[in-house]
Amino acid sequence: MCTMINRGLVALLLMLCFTHISSQTCSYTISGALKDKGTNMPLPYATVYIQETQSGAVADSVGNFILSNVCAGAYHLKFSHIGCETENYFLQLSADTTIQIFLGHHTELLSETVVQGKKEDNTAKVSNTIGRSEIVAQSSKSLAGVLENIAGVSVLKNGSGISKPVVHGLYGNRIAILNNGIAQAGQQWGNDHAPEIDPFAADHISVVKGASVLAYAGNSLGSVVLVDMDNVNQDPHLHGETNYLFQSNGLGHTLNARLEKGGKWLQWRITGTLKARGDQKSPGYYLSNTGNREGNISVQLERRINTKINSKIYYSLFNTEIAILRGSHIGNLTDLEEAITRKVPFFTQNHFTYQIEAPRQIVQHHLLKAQVNCLLRGNQSLQFTYGGQLNNRKEFDVRRSGRENIPALSLLQQSHFAEGVYKTIFGTNLLLKSGIQINYTDNTNNSETGILPLIPDYRAFNAAAFAILQKDAGRVFYEFGGRYSFQQLDAVTITTTLPRKIERYNTPFHNYAISGAVKYSAAANYKITLDAGYMLRSPEVNELYSAGLHQGVSGIEEGNKNLKQEQSGKLLLSNDFSIGKRLFVQALTYFQYIGNYIYLQPQQEFRLTIRGAFPLFVYRQTDATLWGTDLLLTFEPAERINLILKYAMVRGHDVSDNLPLVNIPSDNLFASAGYVFRNFKRFQNNTLSANGRYVWKQTRLLPEQDFLPPPNGYFLLGATAATALHLKDSELNFTFTADNLFNTVYRDYLNRQRYFANEPGINIELKAGYVF
Amino acid sequence: MKNQKSLLPVYLLSVLLLIVSCKKDDPVIPNEEELITTLVYTLTPVAGGEPAVFTFTDTDGAGGAAPVVVNDTLTANTAYLGSLQLLDETVSPPDDISAEITDEAEAHQFFFAAEAGLNATVTYADFDGNGRPLGLANTLTTGNVSEGGLTITLRHEPDKAAAGVADGNIANAGGETDIEVQFTVKVQ
Repeated sequence: MCTMINRGLVALLLMLCFTHISSQTCSYTISGALKDKGTNMPLPYATVYIQETQSGAVADSVGNFILSNVCAGAYHLKFSHIGCETENYFLQLSADTTIQIFLGHHTELLSETVVQGKKEDNTAKVSNTIGRSEIVAQSSKSLAGVLENIAGVSVLKNGSGISKPVVHGLYGNRIAILNNGIAQAGQQWGNDHAPEIDPFAADHISVVKGASVLAYAGNSLGSVVLVDMDNVNQDPHLHGETNYLFQSNGLGHTLNARLEKGGKWLQWRITGTLKARGDQKSPGYYLSNTGNREGNISVQLERRINTKINSKIYYSLFNTEIAILRGSHIGNLTDLEEAITRKVPFFTQNHFTYQIEAPRQIVQHHLLKAQVNCLLRGNQSLQFTYGGQLNNRKEFDVRRSGRENIPALSLLQQSHFAEGVYKTIFGTNLLLKSGIQINYTDNTNNSETGILPLIPDYRAFNAAAFAILQKDAGRVFYEFGGRYSFQQLDAVTITTTLPRKIERYNTPFHNYAISGAVKYSAAANYKITLDAGYMLRSPEVNELYSAGLHQGVSGIEEGNKNLKQEQSGKLLLSNDFSIGKRLFVQALTYFQYIGNYIYLQPQQEFRLTIRGAFPLFVYRQTDATLWGTDLLLTFEPAERINLILKYAMVRGHDVSDNLPLVNIPSDNLFASAGYVFRNFKRFQNNTLSANGRYVWKQTRLLPEQDFLPPPNGYFLLGATAATALHLKDSELNFTFTADNLFNTVYRDYLNRQRYFANEPGINIELKAGYVF
Repeated sequence: MKNQKSLLPVYLLSVLLLIVSCKKDDPVIPNEEELITTLVYTLTPVAGGEPAVFTFTDTDGAGGAAPVVVNDTLTANTAYLGSLQLLDETVSPPDDISAEITDEAEAHQFFFAAEAGLNATVTYADFDGNGRPLGLANTLTTGNVSEGGLTITLRHEPDKAAAGVADGNIANAGGETDIEVQFTVKVQ
C-alpha cells in the first residue's frame, strides 16, 4: 500500500537534464535514499531495478542505494519494498544523480497531500490521506465509501447508492469538498445528494480535520475533503492502467481506465469509469430498486510554457442514475408508521433486476478548471485559477398519470470561481500565502416539475481574501492566518400561500475566520500539533428559504429568514508518535463549540393537508458542542505482519436545550490483520488480510427526537487476498475481497433507509487490473 | 503575454460584475396539475331525498393555511349512494382529478374507516379492469344514532392483491397516500 513518489524531484531532475547532454558516457551513478512518506523513517533493504538494463540494487540498512556505471539515457526505475506496491520512476540520466524516494509504507499515517512536492505544503495541517493504490482498489465505491477508511469519517446514507461524508459529526453545508482545488458546487445541502465526484480520477483523497483551512473556498466549519490529482509524470512514454471489478451483491460491474503521457510540449492524462449495478440483496430479500449506473470521464492537460510559467487545464464529467429503494418512498406520516412496522419492505420483488424505476435521481456534473502558475523573482509565485461548474439534477418520484418521467425536482446550477494566490518566502523560512477568491452561483428550478420548488431560484455572490503566515523554526512549525469573505444571496421565492406570489430576499453576510496552529517535533518519533480556529458560517439557501414537502425527509420543511451566522470555535490536539520501528500511533482529540448552530427542529404539531398529516420541521438555532477522539494505530509485530486499529468517537450536544444532536455517528472500531507472503516467482505483493468493524448503538438520542430508536450495534467481518504478476514492463494484479462475510442482518443509524430495510448482505468483489 | 495576464483578472471581474448587476429573472410558477385541493363526498339516499355533502378543502397544499372541513348529518338506518369527487381548485374552472384516478383505477384504491363510535359501513360500488375495488363510487349504510370520525384514504400503487385489501382493509395495502381526510359524521 504505497503511494506516489515525491514529484517535485522530477522537476528538479529535469532542470539538471537540460544542463548537459552526453550520450556516450557510461560512468554515471544514480544514488539515493528510500524513506517512508508517513513517518520519514528510512526503508531498509528496499530494491531498485532498472528496466532497460535489467539490473538493480538493494538498499542498505538505512535505505540508501547506489547504482554505478550507468550510461546516459532514459530509464524506467522501479522501487519496491515489502508490503508496498512497486513504484515507477522515469529518469533522463545525463549526470550523476541523487534522488530521494518516498514510499507510503504506512498509508494510514500519511498526513499531507504532496502537491508538486512544494515546501509550503509541509504545513501544520492535521489531515489524513488515502493514496492512489487504495483508491484504485476501492474504485467500485463512491467517494464517501472511500473516505470511510479514514478514522473520524463516517458516512451518511440514503440507501446504498447515495452517501456523503460526515467528519467529526459535521456534514452537508458544514463540510467543504474540493475537487481538484475547486469547491464542489451542486446541491450539497441535501442529505440525499451525494457529491458528484469519481474517486478513481484522484491520486490522493484527504480529510483536513483541523481549523487551518482558510485557503480553501467554500463555506465549511472546519473540515475539508480534498480530492487531488497529481501532475502528469514527465515520462515521455504512454503509461496507464485498466481495472475491472465485479461485485456479487447486485451483480455490479465497474470498468475504469487511465492513460497518461508526458512530453516536452504537452503532458496529458485521461481517465474514465463505467459502472452498472442492479438490485442489491439484504439477507433474506432483495432491496428492490437499488441499482445504479455511472459514467465519468476526466481529462488533464499540462503545458510548461517556459521555466517560469506552467499551465494546466482539467475537465471532468460525472453522470449518474441512482435508484432509491421503492419501499422507502412513502406519502404521509401514516405511511411512514406503517412502513416502519414491516418485516420486509413494501414493493419487495422476489427477483433481481438491473432496471431502475422511480424513485430515482439523474445527476450530471461538469467541472472545468484552468490554472496558470508563474514563478517570479526571489521566491515569489503567482497562481491564477478558474473553475466553472454546471450541475443538472433531476429527481423522479412515484407519480400519477405517467408523470413518473417528469422530474419532481429539477435544478440547474452553474457556478464560476476565480482565484489569485500570491506566495512569497522572506526572511528565514517565513512563508506568506495570500489570495483573493470570487465565486458566483446561479441556481434555477425548472418549472417542468409541476411542483412548487423546495429550494428557491437564487444567485449567490461571494468575494473573499485570505492571508496565511508560516514559519519553519526547526523543531517548531507555526501557522497563522485570517480570512474575510463577503457573501450575498439573492433568492426569488414563490409563496406557499395563495395566491402564489414572487418574493425577493437579499441578505448580505460578512464572514471572517482566524486560525493558528503549532506543530512541535519533540523528537524524531514524536510530533504534537495544536490547532485552533474561530470562524463564521452564513446560513445557506435551504436553511433560509426552503419551503414545502421534502420527500427525502418525509416532512414539510420551512426555512427561517431570520437565521444568523453560525460561530464556531474549534480546538484540536494531535499526537503522532512511534515506539521502536514497529508501533505507530496517531491520537487526535478535538472540541468544537458552535454558537447559533442551525438545525431542523421537529415541531410539536403536525401539518394537516389533504394528503394527511405531515411532520413539520423548522430551521432553528441553538448552541451546540461537539467533541471526540480519533485513534489510529499500526503495529508490525514481525516483518511480514501488520495490524491496524482505528477508533472514532464523537459526542454532539445541544447545550441550550440540553438535548443530544441528531445524526451524530456512534462509536466505531475497525481492526485489520494482514500478512505479506514471500514473492513467488513473478508473483509479488502476495497479501492476505482479515478485518472487522464494530459499530456501537447510538444511545445518545431521546425517543421524541426520531420516529424510531437507533438500530443496534453490529459487527462486520471482511477479508482480502491480493497478488500481482510482474511482467517485463507491465503488471497484472488481482484482488479478492469479501464484505459482510457472515451475511449479518443489521441497520445503520446514519442510513435513512434504516426505517424501511436491512443493509445489504454479503458481497464478494473481484478485481483484475493491468498496469503498464 | 504579460499584458494579457494582467488583464485576465480585470476581465473576469468585469464579467462577474455584469452578471451580478442584473437581477435574477422571476421564476415560472409551476403549473401544479397534480395537486388535489378538494375532496367532495356526496351521499344521496338510495330511497331519494336531499344529498348530504362533506367537503375537505386545502388550497395551499403543503402551505401553512389550515384546511377547511365541512361536515354533514346522515339519517339512521339508511342506505346512501356515495360518490367521491377530487378537484384542483387552484385553477379556474377547477380540474377534475377524479377522471385521472378512474383512468388509473388499477393503481388506486380508496379505503374507508369508521371510528368505533360511528355506526356506518362503506362498501365498494366500482371496480378496476381486474375486478378489484376502486371506491370513487360506493355505498354507505348507517346503523343506529351515533357520531364519530370517518377517514377516507386514497392509496397510489397499493398492492391490491394483498390479503384483505379487496375487502377494504388497508393494513396490507402499502403504496403512497395521496389523500387522507377525516370527517365527523353525525347519524341521527
